[in-house]
Amino acid sequence: MLTTDTPFARYQPLAGSYDEFRDRHGRIRPSWQGIADHLDRMDVSGVAARTAEARRLVRASSANFQLPRENGDQVRPWHLAIVPLVFDEPSWLKLESGLAQRVRVLEWVLNDLLGQQRLLKERVLPPQLLSANPFFLRAYHDFPVKDSAVTRQNLNLTATDLARDNDGTWWVTGDRTRAPSGLGFALENRVITSRILPQLIRQSNVTRLASFFSALQQHFSSIATRSRENPRIAILTPGEESYRYVEDAYLAGYLGYTLVQGRDLAIRGNRVFLKTLGGLLPIDVLWRHISDDHCDPLELDPSATQGATGMLGAIRAGNVAVANSIGSVLAQMPALSPFLNHASRFFFGEDLVLPSVATYWCGSAQERQYVLDNLDDLVLRDAFVVSGDPPVVPNQLTRAERDTWVAKIKAQPHRYVGQSRPKRSTTPVWQDGCLQSWHVALRSFQVQTADGVKVLPGGLSRVSPDVEALDHSPRSGRLGQDCWVLSSSPVDHEMTLLPSPDATLSLTRSGAELPSRVAENLFWLGRYAERSESIARLLRTTMVRITSESYLTSVSYLGDLPDLPRLTAALAAVGQIEPDHAIEEFTETVPDLELILPDSIFDRQQPCGLTASVIQMVDKAVAVRDRLSMDAYRIITRIGDDLTAPRVDKGPDLTGMIERVNRLITDLLAFAGLTTESMTRTHGWRFLQLGRRIERGYQTAELLAATLTRPLVNESSLLESVLRATDSMMTYRSRYMLQLQAAAVIDLLITDDTNPRSLAYQAEQITTLISQLPTDPNEFSLGQDQRLAEAVTHRIRMSQPMVLAHMDGSGSREQLLSLLQYLFEALANLSNAVAARYLIHAGVTQSLTGRVDDIRREPSEANPTGSDSVS
Amino acid sequence: MSAFSRYRIAHRTTYQYSEPVAICQNQLRMVPRAISSPLFRVDCLTANVGISPDPDMMTEHTDYFGNHVVSFAIESSHSELAVQVQSEVSVRQHRNITDAASEPWQQLRDGLENGHDPNWLETNEYLFESPRVRRSKAFLKYAEASFHQGRCLVEAAMDLTHRIHQDFRYDPQVTHVETSIEDAFQLRAGVCQDFAHIQIACLRSIGLPARYVSGYLRTEPAEGARRLIGADQSHAWVSLYAGPQLGWIDLDPTNDCATGTSHVPICFGRDYSDVTPMRGVVIGGGAPQLEVSVDVENIDGEEEYKRVQS
Repeated sequence: MLTTDTPFARYQPLAGSYDEFRDRHGRIRPSWQGIADHLDRMDVSGVAARTAEARRLVRASSANFQLPRENGDQVRPWHLAIVPLVFDEPSWLKLESGLAQRVRVLEWVLNDLLGQQRLLKERVLPPQLLSANPFFLRAYHDFPVKDSAVTRQNLNLTATDLARDNDGTWWVTGDRTRAPSGLGFALENRVITSRILPQLIRQSNVTRLASFFSALQQHFSSIATRSRENPRIAILTPGEESYRYVEDAYLAGYLGYTLVQGRDLAIRGNRVFLKTLGGLLPIDVLWRHISDDHCDPLELDPSATQGATGMLGAIRAGNVAVANSIGSVLAQMPALSPFLNHASRFFFGEDLVLPSVATYWCGSAQERQYVLDNLDDLVLRDAFVVSGDPPVVPNQLTRAERDTWVAKIKAQPHRYVGQSRPKRSTTPVWQDGCLQSWHVALRSFQVQTADGVKVLPGGLSRVSPDVEALDHSPRSGRLGQDCWVLSSSPVDHEMTLLPSPDATLSLTRSGAELPSRVAENLFWLGRYAERSESIARLLRTTMVRITSESYLTSVSYLGDLPDLPRLTAALAAVGQIEPDHAIEEFTETVPDLELILPDSIFDRQQPCGLTASVIQMVDKAVAVRDRLSMDAYRIITRIGDDLTAPRVDKGPDLTGMIERVNRLITDLLAFAGLTTESMTRTHGWRFLQLGRRIERGYQTAELLAATLTRPLVNESSLLESVLRATDSMMTYRSRYMLQLQAAAVIDLLITDDTNPRSLAYQAEQITTLISQLPTDPNEFSLGQDQRLAEAVTHRIRMSQPMVLAHMDGSGSREQLLSLLQYLFEALANLSNAVAARYLIHAGVTQSLTGRVDDIRREPSEANPTGSDSVS
Repeated sequence: MSAFSRYRIAHRTTYQYSEPVAICQNQLRMVPRAISSPLFRVDCLTANVGISPDPDMMTEHTDYFGNHVVSFAIESSHSELAVQVQSEVSVRQHRNITDAASEPWQQLRDGLENGHDPNWLETNEYLFESPRVRRSKAFLKYAEASFHQGRCLVEAAMDLTHRIHQDFRYDPQVTHVETSIEDAFQLRAGVCQDFAHIQIACLRSIGLPARYVSGYLRTEPAEGARRLIGADQSHAWVSLYAGPQLGWIDLDPTNDCATGTSHVPICFGRDYSDVTPMRGVVIGGGAPQLEVSVDVENIDGEEEYKRVQS
C-alpha cells in the first residue's frame, strides 16, 4: 500500500487521455506495480538523484559526445527520463504481431511497386502514387536479381511510429522504411537505464534487447551477395555534420561494423571497395543511412556526394547488398497509408491488425473534398515524402495562408494528404520534483529476416507535455524513455553480442584497413592535441611568471621580468595572441597582459589559438570516434565540457586561469598517455603520432626562435621559462642543478635524442614512423616524405650545441636561427608530403552530363530546320 | 501509304582532357531501341559500341522506359575518351498520321482519367511533372488555343505543333542545356530540346500524356552538293498518346511536321533527363574539349530488309 506522499501516489494522470500507469478508475495497472513500489521506496530524493545520474551518464556516454555548435544544433535530441514505458507481455505480443504484419505488407507493396506493379494494374493503388511522385526516381525500379532463385528483399531494418488512442488501441502514425534513426538511442537508453535501476530491471524480468541485435547481425551477414564466412559490413553514414553521425558511430561500434562515408568508397569493376591506406578492400554489405537519391551521382542525383559513383551498377551486378534497398523510401510515403489495408487484403487476404491514423490523399476527388471541408480538424502533409518539418495546421493559419494552401491543394491535389491528429496516451515523467503526466510517442524497430520479422522488444519512447510537439519529427519531444517489455518467464541475462568462443576466427594483426579519411583525421587529431598542449604550457609558464612577480608591478617590472617580452613574442608566434602585443619595444604594462592572456584563452577567433586548437582537436576526435577507446573519449568529453563552461572569472584572475590551464594540460597528457599505452601500433596510431611529432617539432622551433635567437644579457630566467614551457625543467635540473646556460638548454631541447621533448627526438620518431607506413612494392626509391624526414634528422644530428649557442658580433645566434628557419620550412613540407602521399586519395570529380549535350544538340549550318528537309 | 528506310548510323563522341582523368564512369543511351506502334515500327538491326581506351568494365541493361543502356568504366589514367556507336536501323511507316481520323481530344483524356482506355496505366507515366517539365497555367493557356472544345485530337495536336514552330525562333545561342522550359517559353526561342519540352508541358497541362523522344534526323544534301559525313544531327521531338487505334504519334515542333521515315528514334522518356545520351562522372580531367559527329547514311532497300529479317 502506497503512502500518499510518495512520487507515484501523487501522480495524477492528465484528464482525457489513456494513461499508461493508472487505469480509468485510478488503479495502478498491474505491470507497473513493481516499478512504482521500487521507485516509491527510493522516494523523492532517490528518484531525483537517479535522474541527475541519468543526465550525467547521457552526457558521458559516447553516443552523446558533443560540443555546443554555433548554430545550437544538439547531437543527441533528448535527455533520458528514468521512468520507463512499460508493456506487459500479452499486450506487447499483440502489438508485435501487428508490427510484423505491417512490415510484411510494406515489403510486398514495395517489391511490387519496384517490380511488376500488379497493385497498379489491378487498381488497388492509384498509379499517381508513382507517376506523379517526384521522389520516385525511375532508376529505383526493377534492379534485376542476378540469381533468380533469390527473392529480392527490400526492407531490412524498419521502424514504425505509434500513438495510443483513448481506448488503449495503438495507431500507426508513420512508417520509416528508408533508414530509420533512433535504434542507437533506444539501445543507449537501455544501457543507461540498466545502470540507473539495475535491481529493478532484473526483478522486473525486462526482455533484453541483445537477441534483436544478434538477429540483426545474422541477417546482415546473410544478405552478403558472395557467401563469405566473415563478410565486411559497413554503415554508410552521411558524415560528421549530420545528426545521424553520432548514432551511426555508436551502432557501428556496438555491432562491429565499419563506419564509412561516401568518400571512403571506390567502385571498381562494379564492386564496392573501402579506400584504405593498404589499398582497396571489398565491402559486401552496405547499411546505408543516406537518402536513396544520394546513393549514386551517375544514375541518381548528380550533385550528391554522400554515395559512390556506380553504386547502382554494383547492385545490378549482384556484387553488393545495400540495405534498405534503393527505392525503399517509397514505402514510407504518407499517401500510401490509406491504401495499405487494400494492399494487405490483395496480397494476404487479411486486414491490418494495426490501424493507421486517418489519412486522406487529395489525389482522389472525394477525399480532396473531405479534406477541404474539414481543414480545421486535420493537418496537411506532403503526400510523397516524409519531411522533418512540422505539418501544416490549417486551424492555426491566417485567412490568407489558409487560402494559399487551399489553392495549392486544388492546383496539385495529388501532392498533399490531410491527416487526423493522433491521440496520445500519457505516462509518468519525473520533472520539477514530481511525476508529471506527459504524452508519449513510441517508435518501434523491426528487422526482416529469412525467418520472418523480429521486433525490438521495446523501442524509442519520446515524451512531451505538448502533444502536438510529438507529431513534428522523430527528433522532437522533451525527453526520451526506455521502453520495457515485462516477460512472464525468466529472462536470459547471459545472452550477449560477443561472438561465441567456438567460432573460428582467423587471427589478424592487420592495421591496413584504415580508411584514408580516418588516417587524415587521426593525423590532425595528433597535430591539434600537441598544438593545444604546447600552447597551454607556454601560456601557463607566462602567467606563472607574471603572478610570481606581480607584487612588483608598481615598480619597473621590465627590469625584473626581462624574459616576459620574449615569452609574449613566442605566444604571438604560435598564434595565441595578436602580434602587436609582442612588438619589439615592449613598453606596455603588465596589467595589460593580465587582461590579454585570460581573454585569449576564451577567444575562438584566433585560428591557431588554444581554444580553436582544442575545438579542432575535439572535432577530429569526434570524426574518428570509432577508433578511440571509451576512456579516451571520456577525456575528450571533459576537455570539451571544460572549454565550454561559462567564464565566471571575468577580469584579471590569473590564478583561476592557471588552474584552468593546469586542468587542460593534465587532461591532454592523460589523452596522450592513453594513446601511447592503449592503442595498438597500427597505421592509425602511426598517423596520430606523426601528427603529434611534426607539430611538437614545429612548436618547439617556434618557441626557440622567439626566445633564444637574440639573447638577453641575463638569460637565466628566460632559459628557465623555456625549459618549463617544454616540460624539460626536471631533466635539466637533474643534469646541471641550478646552473642555467644556453648551450646546455639548446642541447637538451634540440640535439639530445634521449629527451622526448627535443627536436632530434621528434625527427627520429618521424623518420621511423614514416618508414613503417605502407609503400608501393614496385617503388624502390624513397618517397618525398621519407627524404625530407631523413634530411631533417641529418641536419639536427650534424648540429653542435656549442655552435648553436654561439653569439655572433651582432649579438644574435645566427646558427640557431638558420637551423630553426630550415626546420619551419622542412616540417611544413613534410606535413604536405605525408598528406599528398597517403591522405589525399581522390581528385576533383566532375560530371560530364551537361557539356556533351550543349554541343551535340546544336545542329550544324548544313542542316536546314525547315519543313522541306523532312520527307 | 507505306514508307520504309534503312540507315547506317555512326555517332561519335570524343573528349580531349586538359589534365589526365584518373577514372571515369559513364552511361550511354545511344543504342536505338525497337519501337512498334499502329502507325510505325522501328527496328535496330545491329548495334556496336566502340570505346577507346578499352573500358575495364562494361555492362548493359534496359531502363524503366525500355531504353537500352550501356554502362562502362575506365579505371586507369587517360587523357582522351572516344565513344563510337554504330547501328543499323530500319524505320517503317504504315500510314500517315494526318490521314488518320481521331476522336475528340477531351474524350481521349476522359477515357484515360476514368481508366476505360486500355492504355490508361502505361500513359499515366507521361501525364505529370517530370524533372524538366512542369505543368502550369501558362502552358495550359497556350495549348487551349489549339485544343478547343470537341476538336479532333490529331488536328489539334498538329495545330499546336505548327504554332510552336511559328511562334518560337530557332536559335542555338539563346538557350543552353540547363535552361528551364519556363525561360525558353518566355524567350519564345530555343532549340529542338526546348521546343519538345514546351510542347510536352502544353500537352500535359491540358491532361494529355506526352513523352520526349531523342533520335536522329536524316538530312538530304542540297541539290548537286555532296552529302557531308557527320553533318546529320541529333534531334528531339514529342510523342503524344492518341488513343488505342493510333497509339503514340510523333510530332516534331522544330520542323512543324509529324515524323516520317527521316526521323530515327533512339530512346524515349518523360523528358530529356530520362534519355541523356551520355552521362558520366570523371575524376580529374581539367577542362574537357568535346567533339561530336553524327552520320546517318541511307542504305535503303526493301529486299535487303527482308533478307535481314529472314
